[in-house]
Amino acid sequence: MTPEAQQMIDQVAKLIRKPNLQIDENTPLVSSGLIDSMALVDLLIKLEDITHLRIPAGKVQPKDMNTVALMFATAQRVGKPRK
Amino acid sequence: MVDALLSAPSDRPFVTAWIDEDEQETATFGEFRRMAQTQALLLKDNGVSVGDRVVLIMPQGIPLMATFVGAMLLGAVPAILAYPNFKVEPSKYRFGLAGVTANLHARVVVIDNEFPDDLLGHVSLGDARLLRAAEAGVSGGEVDLPDPGNGPDSLAFIQHSAGTTGLQKGVALTHAAVLRHLEHLSAVLSIDERDIVYSWLPLYHDMGLIACFILPMVCHLHVVMQSPLDWVMHPDTMLQIFTDYKCSLAWLPNFTFQFVPRRTPKERWSNFDMSSARALINCSEPVRASSMNEFCSAFAPCGLKQSALQSSYAMAENVFAVTQSGIHGKAGPEVIWADGQRFRAEHFIAQVPEGSPGAIAFTSSGELLPNNRMQIVSDSGEVLSGGYVGEIAIQSDSLFEGYYNRPDLTERAIRDGWYYTGDLGFYLDDELYVVGRKKDLLIIGGENIYPQDIEEIVCSHAAIHDGRAIALGVFNPDLGTEDIVVVAEVEKDELLRQADEIEREIRSSVVANMGVAVRTIFLKPPKWIVKSTAGKAARSTTREKLLKEHPELAGES
Repeated sequence: MTPEAQQMIDQVAKLIRKPNLQIDENTPLVSSGLIDSMALVDLLIKLEDITHLRIPAGKVQPKDMNTVALMFATAQRVGKPRK
Repeated sequence: MVDALLSAPSDRPFVTAWIDEDEQETATFGEFRRMAQTQALLLKDNGVSVGDRVVLIMPQGIPLMATFVGAMLLGAVPAILAYPNFKVEPSKYRFGLAGVTANLHARVVVIDNEFPDDLLGHVSLGDARLLRAAEAGVSGGEVDLPDPGNGPDSLAFIQHSAGTTGLQKGVALTHAAVLRHLEHLSAVLSIDERDIVYSWLPLYHDMGLIACFILPMVCHLHVVMQSPLDWVMHPDTMLQIFTDYKCSLAWLPNFTFQFVPRRTPKERWSNFDMSSARALINCSEPVRASSMNEFCSAFAPCGLKQSALQSSYAMAENVFAVTQSGIHGKAGPEVIWADGQRFRAEHFIAQVPEGSPGAIAFTSSGELLPNNRMQIVSDSGEVLSGGYVGEIAIQSDSLFEGYYNRPDLTERAIRDGWYYTGDLGFYLDDELYVVGRKKDLLIIGGENIYPQDIEEIVCSHAAIHDGRAIALGVFNPDLGTEDIVVVAEVEKDELLRQADEIEREIRSSVVANMGVAVRTIFLKPPKWIVKSTAGKAARSTTREKLLKEHPELAGES
């Protein structure tokens, strides 16, 4: 796993507040109800920080954020390099 | 409305869609007309004609606006619905989408190419044709479309009333009502063509649609807009846009005035120039002087004038604004202080000096627009005199015709020619003060308690995250009255260890300020409270969540 993915997983773990739950890159987060839609704003901001990309939020749907792996794929698909 | 667009100077900028610092797209009035005409021809080819409803489910931007006007060019009746996004609960969105589209009986539903397939099944098509939005071309000259022959009393469009629960209601508006409204609004705001409007507001709400799209179109103003989602992620972009485009007008809900300074790092404040702002109008939520003061003190060093902070009371049913504060005043809207005890016990405003013990501050939403009338009505239907709090009822020459296809709802809302808003307020010295929603009011032992007042006290505790507290009434069958229950988020998880102490402090400050006791305080970790669009605490959804987690409360109600 890349250090970036680990950073994102740590962030997710903070948001869901279930210390004993093991999360990996492919754990479903949205469809399983582990995180709610409001938390996704924070995750998207974190994703911008980690990837150094600007992510147009309007192009992102809940399913694009369902797993940490999908988050990075979404960032690559719609993100733009930042100045 | 269409005539106003047709008479606009071709080379004047109309809409700038601001994507980010590097990407902005501007359409002049001439370019916009061509885009709208292209869309009109496409809609016509798909069978749209005079009076047909056209439903638009597209992301915020110029193509959406051009399609909206394209439908109006044919004399059809467009309605913009919210576009799905990652912040909206999918189940709630699907439910709303199905109900609203079914009620409209549209000829055509226009969606964009990226509309998620899994949601398509929830668009109620009936006999409607589904159309994928096409590029709105600007090539070629302008096209002459035949005048659809609409009279002033034909429907111009349907805008949906802002509602957080249940189905949104379609508010049907005629051309004449919209134009009369814009005439009043532009007069009280002294609009002139040098004004530049800033907006992050969604186009499916009256504030975004009327103030930031139709008003600029009719008055030939430039509007710079960004999507609500992009703004929520980077609220400081609002300051950047004011700086770059020298915007003069904006309409903003109350929470924006706190959200922007709190989410913009202090060391960046001096990078912005807010001196061009002529009126930042606090609208759509009860207006709080403390929020506006926070914004004002943060950005006064950037040239923000205190006189720019303004307020308004508005609703889709009246096209838009009912009142507007005097924008030529020096210090923004009127603030008064009233005896808290008499306010709660007698529903009466007895003015007291600022800062008196137990006093409550109220911020005015301004004076009535021309040809608008207002009554404050008690629960028993009696018209109250100045200073008494009751339900706000309005009449005007821009009032809606009724809820589209919903005579049942219309009958409940419009009685004897007055529209009952469901908002509580009082009218004093020609100024309207809005105090809250009628259905949110708590009645505790015969006293009227506004949850917002308790929430403000709870949030002033250092351990509580500002804006993240909700006060609810829960029926207590032993006492035959409601008890106050508070749920609040602490700033950090660690603070939950001191819960007993925090609870004690909150209890005593609520009793000291309001003279009522809170039955139970639930302290929750950060992010527990359910938020609505862009960060407001959603009262009803939070209530459901609390009752689910604490069924002992529901058992007693």
